Amino acid sequence: MFGFRTSLPRRTELALGLAGLLLFLGLWHTASVSGWVKQQFLPTPFAVVEAFGRLFTERNFAGDILISVGRVWLAFFLSVIIAVPLGLLMSCYRALGALIEPFIDFVRYLPVPAMVPLLIIWFGVGEASKIAVLWMGTFFQLILLISDDTKRVPAEYIESGFTLGANQWQVIRDIVFPAALPNMVDNLRITLGWCWTYLIIAEIVAASSGVGHVIWSLRRFVKTPEVMAGIVAIGIIGLLTDQAFRWAHRRRFRYLER
Amino acid sequence: MAYLSIENVSKTFPGDGQEVQVVTPLTLNIAQGQIVTFLGPSGCGKTTVMRMVGGLETPTAGQITLDGALLRGPDRRRGMVFQSYAAFPWLTVAGNIRLGLKYRPDLPPQDHDAAVAQLIDLVGLNGFDDSYTNRISGGMRQRVAIARTLAADPDVLLMDEPFGALDALTREHLQNKLLDINRAAAKTTIFVTHDVEEAILLAHRLIVFSARPARLLEDIDVTAHLGTDQREQTLRDAPAFLDLRRHVQGIIRAEHARAEQDGAHGI
Repeated sequence: MFGFRTSLPRRTELALGLAGLLLFLGLWHTASVSGWVKQQFLPTPFAVVEAFGRLFTERNFAGDILISVGRVWLAFFLSVIIAVPLGLLMSCYRALGALIEPFIDFVRYLPVPAMVPLLIIWFGVGEASKIAVLWMGTFFQLILLISDDTKRVPAEYIESGFTLGANQWQVIRDIVFPAALPNMVDNLRITLGWCWTYLIIAEIVAASSGVGHVIWSLRRFVKTPEVMAGIVAIGIIGLLTDQAFRWAHRRRFRYLER
Repeated sequence: MAYLSIENVSKTFPGDGQEVQVVTPLTLNIAQGQIVTFLGPSGCGKTTVMRMVGGLETPTAGQITLDGALLRGPDRRRGMVFQSYAAFPWLTVAGNIRLGLKYRPDLPPQDHDAAVAQLIDLVGLNGFDDSYTNRISGGMRQRVAIARTLAADPDVLLMDEPFGALDALTREHLQNKLLDINRAAAKTTIFVTHDVEEAILLAHRLIVFSARPARLLEDIDVTAHLGTDQREQTLRDAPAFLDLRRHVQGIIRAEHARAEQDGAHGI
């Protein structure tokens, strides 16, 4: 079991993962009930689970989750449909890359939270400003990731395409895009995770709905169990989305398995 | 009348500070259906000559014509097989070959299935139609790349050390396979290699290049030495073949000695 760089049976893997989780929960519970940390600051895991239930029964938390998920996906979709084609073309046509890369590199380093006041001035406190925050946070990162994925397509693949008689558009469609696709999808998965970070910022600053708003408004009444339950909810949504992406990746790109 | 004509073609690459000459002015006329092998030390510039024929590099000076027409940029007339396995991993064996048919205006789509089957048979990959290319061996992958190139029906076949990364046994098998294919397809072919035996075995005509910058050292009519189409495994042991191999090895050895004495090229 403690072999160097060995692989473990699937069941052992699961058992160890579960044990690690239980150890963490046990430590947390002990810290809370022993009075080591005041329960007002650290409620027991059970209290958090109860609060999780209350969020759904006493408030319309499911609706807030739906609103947040909707914001994330809409902003993510708007990033992807522009960043993927543009990133692809950037690496295929150096002139386009040279034209926009310096600008993107500049914007990429602007901290998104610093942009929030400006975006609210531009778009108001409605949905548009939240989508804009998420878009700012993902688009400029994604476009460079996509451009890098495309650059890593071997020159032989592209040259093969041209010597088979394909024109530039056909080479992009039939060779560059499918060759880069598995890495692109991986980068989409990672970028989607970042969306959640920016979503909470956007919802805390200016929102009357969504998971971030719920967490922030409960803080005012020091409802620590509910606040923690809200945070856990985001973790669960993230985990599920990530697993769904991985599953789809494995299914769609079966040929990558040896 | 030359079919493929390389006229006074040279190539220099921009190096750090000074330009590096890779190919000195070279003139070479190749007849239709002729199989020409380019032999020379690694990095001598023979691949660059071939890439210029393929339109993947632009000559610094001179011109290349095919059937009287000036060549510029890559297209379907010159198919290329690369040293690294360029079979596409996201496509199956049949899918890769089908892609070679895709950009042919002369072949109606309803004929594609039959053409794919025929090419799979030609390269001996029967039964592997639906295998993805990273589940088959390197030798098989290279056969996929060859079949895909043949699928596009190029006028000239360019092969850049296609068997360079294979083990000796697979290599010999593929060399024989290529001889079969060449006999069936009768394509004008340029085959780049640094293996003397391979260069003689596959060639109608053998061009020996110098160390960098590439200069034509010797132009050997292999067919005249070995006769036509008597190329079987047994040929590897025939006296005429061994004589020719010794002769070519002598040229290469003398060239190595000369290059080392010059010292300037750091080989």
